[in-house]
Amino acid sequence: MGLIQRAVELRGIPTLSITVARDVTERLKVPRAVFVPWPMGHHFGVPFHRELQRRVLMEAFRTLETATESGTIQDLPIKWADVRREANTLSAQGWKL
Amino acid sequence: MTEASRAVLDDAQKTAPLDPRDAGTQLRPGLWHTINERYPGSMVTRHTHVPLAPLAKPLNQARLVMISSCGVHRKTDRPLDVCHPFGDFGFRRAPSNTRPADLTIHQLKYPHDDADQDINVVFPIERLQELVAEGTLGGLTPNFFSFIGYNMATERFERTVVHDIAEAVEVEEKADVALLVPA
Repeated sequence: MGLIQRAVELRGIPTLSITVARDVTERLKVPRAVFVPWPMGHHFGVPFHRELQRRVLMEAFRTLETATESGTIQDLPIKWADVRREANTLSAQGWKL
Repeated sequence: MTEASRAVLDDAQKTAPLDPRDAGTQLRPGLWHTINERYPGSMVTRHTHVPLAPLAKPLNQARLVMISSCGVHRKTDRPLDVCHPFGDFGFRRAPSNTRPADLTIHQLKYPHDDADQDINVVFPIERLQELVAEGTLGGLTPNFFSFIGYNMATERFERTVVHDIAEAVEVEEKADVALLVPA
């Protein structure tokens, strides 16, 4: 994935990845990334949590606009435990999880 | 690991340029040396950053492409091969106006139970459609891209998937900005 990001950036198109593995992303030296400390397969949080999914995207756009150095990794320090708690609330509201 | 290869790796570790961004942030120190030994020539030896491409347009006028290794595809498309020991060196296009009900995830290497409930968990296609509708983004490219992030021949991967997607993103889709989701 990092190879594609580098290839696209080299063609003059700004890129950003959403990563859940900070060490991998650091070593691949991608131009820009947002790190979310969540499990694999949950890059935008949990099902039906629109605000959270949106928040990750907005953080990505903000980093795209503000990063000045190649290799920038912006942290989004939202704990997975908090995300799960919000997911449980959504479940209780009747969203099928 | 043999005594000789350990010595080589130790040497490499000592002489590797120290990137200040590496300091104290590695969750699994030593992992990369193991991977380098197992898959020689893989991407982890790269030490250089690519220069940043500037945003040519503000985001509310830019066309965004999404590329993901999550293995998503239209239900009507043939799935990628998840069983081949070297991986499938192909990719699929998913039109950016597809409804989630017409997409499916075919991949074994990460848990996608939650994404099966709501695809936006790894492939936020509906959120991006909403952001375009409300004017935060200028638009989406006609197609998004997906492949399977398990490819055990890096050189072949660069020659096929990397080249073909990068080419399509620039020439066919004319993207202004790219969002990547390494699942």
